[in-house]
Amino acid sequence: MAYVAARGGEQAILQAETLYQQLNGSPDAAFIRALEQLMPYLVDRVMGEGSLYAPQLAALALAQTGGDLYEAVLLLRAYRSTQPRLAYAEPVAQEHIHTVRRISAAFKDIPGGQVLGPTLDYSHRILRTELLDEQHQASEDETPQTDAEYPATNGRLPPVADWLRSNRLVAPLAEQDAPAPGELPDVTRDPIAFPAPRAHRLQSLSRADTGGVLALGYSSMRGYGLAHPTVNEVRLGYADVVLRHPLSGVPFSAGRMRVSHAEIVNSAADGLELGFAATIGWNEVKTIAAAMLDVEMNKPTPHPAHAEEFVLYHTEPVEASGFCIHYKLPHYVTFASALDNVRRVAAGGDEPEQG
Amino acid sequence: MTTLAALAHTRQDYSYAFLDEFAKRELRRRILKGIAIPGYQVPYASRELPIARGWGTGGLQVTLSLVGPRDVVKVIDQGADDSVNAANLRRFIARVASVETTTDALRATIIQSRHRFPEERLREEQALVLQVPYPEPLIAVQPSFSAARQMHADADYALMWLDLYEQYVRHRALTGGANYPVMVHGRYLMAPSPIPRWDTPMLNQAAHLTLLSAGREKRLYAVPPYTDVRPLAFTDVPFRVEDQTGRVCAQTGATNKFMNEVPQPDGSSQFVLSDTGYAEKLLRRARGEPVEIGETFYYSAEHDA
Repeated sequence: MAYVAARGGEQAILQAETLYQQLNGSPDAAFIRALEQLMPYLVDRVMGEGSLYAPQLAALALAQTGGDLYEAVLLLRAYRSTQPRLAYAEPVAQEHIHTVRRISAAFKDIPGGQVLGPTLDYSHRILRTELLDEQHQASEDETPQTDAEYPATNGRLPPVADWLRSNRLVAPLAEQDAPAPGELPDVTRDPIAFPAPRAHRLQSLSRADTGGVLALGYSSMRGYGLAHPTVNEVRLGYADVVLRHPLSGVPFSAGRMRVSHAEIVNSAADGLELGFAATIGWNEVKTIAAAMLDVEMNKPTPHPAHAEEFVLYHTEPVEASGFCIHYKLPHYVTFASALDNVRRVAAGGDEPEQG
Repeated sequence: MTTLAALAHTRQDYSYAFLDEFAKRELRRRILKGIAIPGYQVPYASRELPIARGWGTGGLQVTLSLVGPRDVVKVIDQGADDSVNAANLRRFIARVASVETTTDALRATIIQSRHRFPEERLREEQALVLQVPYPEPLIAVQPSFSAARQMHADADYALMWLDLYEQYVRHRALTGGANYPVMVHGRYLMAPSPIPRWDTPMLNQAAHLTLLSAGREKRLYAVPPYTDVRPLAFTDVPFRVEDQTGRVCAQTGATNKFMNEVPQPDGSSQFVLSDTGYAEKLLRRARGEPVEIGETFYYSAEHDA
């Protein structure tokens, strides 16, 4: 063990951490397991922003930080930094997602059908205070039974965009071979530069702060936007993580993960254009707002939500939250430098020197 | 009998110095590029570390990619070794890289710093790693990074000169505070990180290597040894460092060094040295202990006496 000078600062750090743990209690394995099972949307949000699909670790991160979302996301990201990238998964086509919910606001009915799936969208948001009663027993109709592991859709649900394309309402996909997964630009391995490659843009939106994307997306929806968006499709489901065996090259599924995506169709006078966003976990607000930004970011106007550089830089959760709380660090040297100027200007400033 | 377990590595949770070898290789390549083009901002991928972003993760990544078991590391924040953030970073580096740490600027091979230079002059074989919040010196006149990169490519710094002129017209003074913009090797405008103006002249023709790194903004850059570094100023309205006239350190009696102003209940101010490593050595000398104190950048009566 290397020598570390023991100084006042280090004592303070240890004491502060002890106090934090005394005030917040220490979660155990059963609590972390319950968190993972009972708070799936919270776990999904942390995994999406942490860009690491690991429900158990995400639940641990939430428990360890007392539910501080930004801290939990940072824990996952820092853990991610220590893991080598061993392989790239094969692309997942929309119709290959084991879909549990898929709706379109653009059409009354769509090929494959509207699948409402699990949602609280049409529920009355009333606190169920009876759950607080220790004696409460769940009645039959409170625990509806579903007859399948994935409650819906045996058949494939083709993307609504396919129908738009076949009707020449949006431009057909370019005829090209899909790039090898390992050759796609990877925003965790290369710095982003603007204009960003499409892969970087979608990866950044996928990792983006839900609240940040919502704030900028909402500014656009509310009146600063130029788009006239309609939700073409929102989809929640389970995607197979398909890898190729390193020796035989045979594709196999290494597991399934919860994914969500949204497709926005913008009706401009000269035609329709599509916006898209997808993320790890089920997060409808984020994917809808992000898909709208995907359309808006192409617009040449000065509003911040229309500039890709502005949106992607300022919705990065780890960077934004970290920089915000860094203002708690001492700044007395920089402040002294500013004070020196204030005093000098108040004293009349400097006379120019005679050359 | 040969078993797989016997052939495999012993289980290690983390690589030496935390970052995996690919990340370190990338950083070293970017650092070499930065040294080859003084003042030019080199983008890098920037990994998340177990320290909050904006708390020195850029400097930390550079330090972790440079450090080896024989290094001696010093970490300071606003000049202080004992500030909690400096203590935290030092604790982390020592833990993952098993290096010796010090508060003595002369003994350190790598000094990671937030917002200050040590007062003692650094030598050729030392590296100073500065943590950078805003790598882009043009941000005041051009907040878009892509537009600013184009301006750097064209060496188009007219807006900065205009801004400087406006400062003088409005306030009869150049009002740039810490992070005062500098021209490096006559080519690139550079943000020297929020060091006070007091430290800015120490960059010019310095013997040591200065590496600057912004983890959040994913840019690093360098000032190699013996490079011209000039603050932006006019010939007839020169650059001025913070006025330390009449300030005497209440603990050491030192003068003509960068001082922290400590407000007193009676409305007056006390002053103490910002560089705590230097202050510690002055105190040890005052107690009669043998201590090596280096030459400082600014003349100091108490040292030369």
